[in-house]
Amino acid sequence: MRQSHTAVVARNERWAGAVETEPYEVAWAREAIWFLRVLEPPMGPPGGTVRVQVSPDGLYWCDEGSALALPTDPDVPTFVRVRRFGGWLRLAGTLPDGMQATVIAYLVLKS
Amino acid sequence: MSSPTVASPHLANPRMARFDPLERILYFDDFDEGTHGWTAHIGNYEGSLDTLLAPYSDLRPAQLSNLTMWDVGSMGAMDGTYALKLATRPTPGHMAILIKRQTWRELADVRFEAYLAYKPEPRELVLGELDVRAFGVGFDLQDDTTRWMPQYRFLNAEDGKPAAGDATDQASRTTPRGKWQQRDETSVFHTIGGSGSTVSHWHLPDEGWHDVLGGTQVMCYNEIPTKVNWFYLRVDLDLRNRRVSRLQCNDLVLGRDPLEYIAFPAMPNLRGMLNAFVWVQTDTAKRALLYVDSVVMSTGAAS
Repeated sequence: MRQSHTAVVARNERWAGAVETEPYEVAWAREAIWFLRVLEPPMGPPGGTVRVQVSPDGLYWCDEGSALALPTDPDVPTFVRVRRFGGWLRLAGTLPDGMQATVIAYLVLKS
Repeated sequence: MSSPTVASPHLANPRMARFDPLERILYFDDFDEGTHGWTAHIGNYEGSLDTLLAPYSDLRPAQLSNLTMWDVGSMGAMDGTYALKLATRPTPGHMAILIKRQTWRELADVRFEAYLAYKPEPRELVLGELDVRAFGVGFDLQDDTTRWMPQYRFLNAEDGKPAAGDATDQASRTTPRGKWQQRDETSVFHTIGGSGSTVSHWHLPDEGWHDVLGGTQVMCYNEIPTKVNWFYLRVDLDLRNRRVSRLQCNDLVLGRDPLEYIAFPAMPNLRGMLNAFVWVQTDTAKRALLYVDSVVMSTGAAS
């Protein structure tokens, strides 16, 4: 049976300006889905995105190439699938000026 | 001449021989196989996550780590590849807590054993031996009349200073000495939300800890943040008499006098609770990390 694990890497966090999630270790996993949900409608202009980042050591980060839009509707999460990511994952990005979102971010992993 | 048979069968099992379990093993968690029920601690809330007490609002999730270091690569766990990992935020005083929630079948002796290691995130090329403020082990238990919470922490450093001063008996330079602490009070109970049925209390405040007599210890921190040494931790609980008879970290054995714990009247919906939790706290703007290789919870219960 394959292993699976869901980590809540951000819970009820107020995101504005430059944001990044805490480093998360994923060496055991083969595939991942990032889900983002807003707990209330975001304030300010729409259009924020965050980038998936990978790291060799959990200290230094580079863009993986995928990105994830911030949801606009609290009932509809956004997601992005990621594969072949090595040992660490996080999200990083800069929200548009004036945008503020209260988010919960899930990292859904499977071996 | 034949060799003697191993008297205790578990000593012939290479995965179990490093433990001293009571007769019946309740669980053996080797984190090469997943998180085994150890999950992020969270406080009580009602209606909105904004009702969480502040210390509970940002406790971090469980991770499985292969202990990859930027300078030497993957170290792996003490046994196998993966260890359970707790990581704080890089905020002084921040804490990560993981908990495993069980119930007891019989009020009896219970023994917790684990192999752990603590380190700061190796972000700076310095020793960092005073970056981790504390790590600890605790239990949340309830019988027919009483909820009781034994909680013990190794206070390594506070405000950048060794918790129990410098030991000067090591040859080349001073080495920081930490100390084991206990507590007998939680903090104020708060009503959460508007229904009247939800309460919450923060049971690991920075204040209110008492030194355990004889509880100073020099740990094997090693010499740079990427060198990690594992150590043994054990707590013996007597659920019948609400007594904690032993707290052991490697060769330091405490508990000649019964150890302190928090106790208050039994609460709704918690009868039978046998929860165990571990935590780590940073003293600096650097993540504190606690790795758990494996855990055994055993009991002397007949059933």
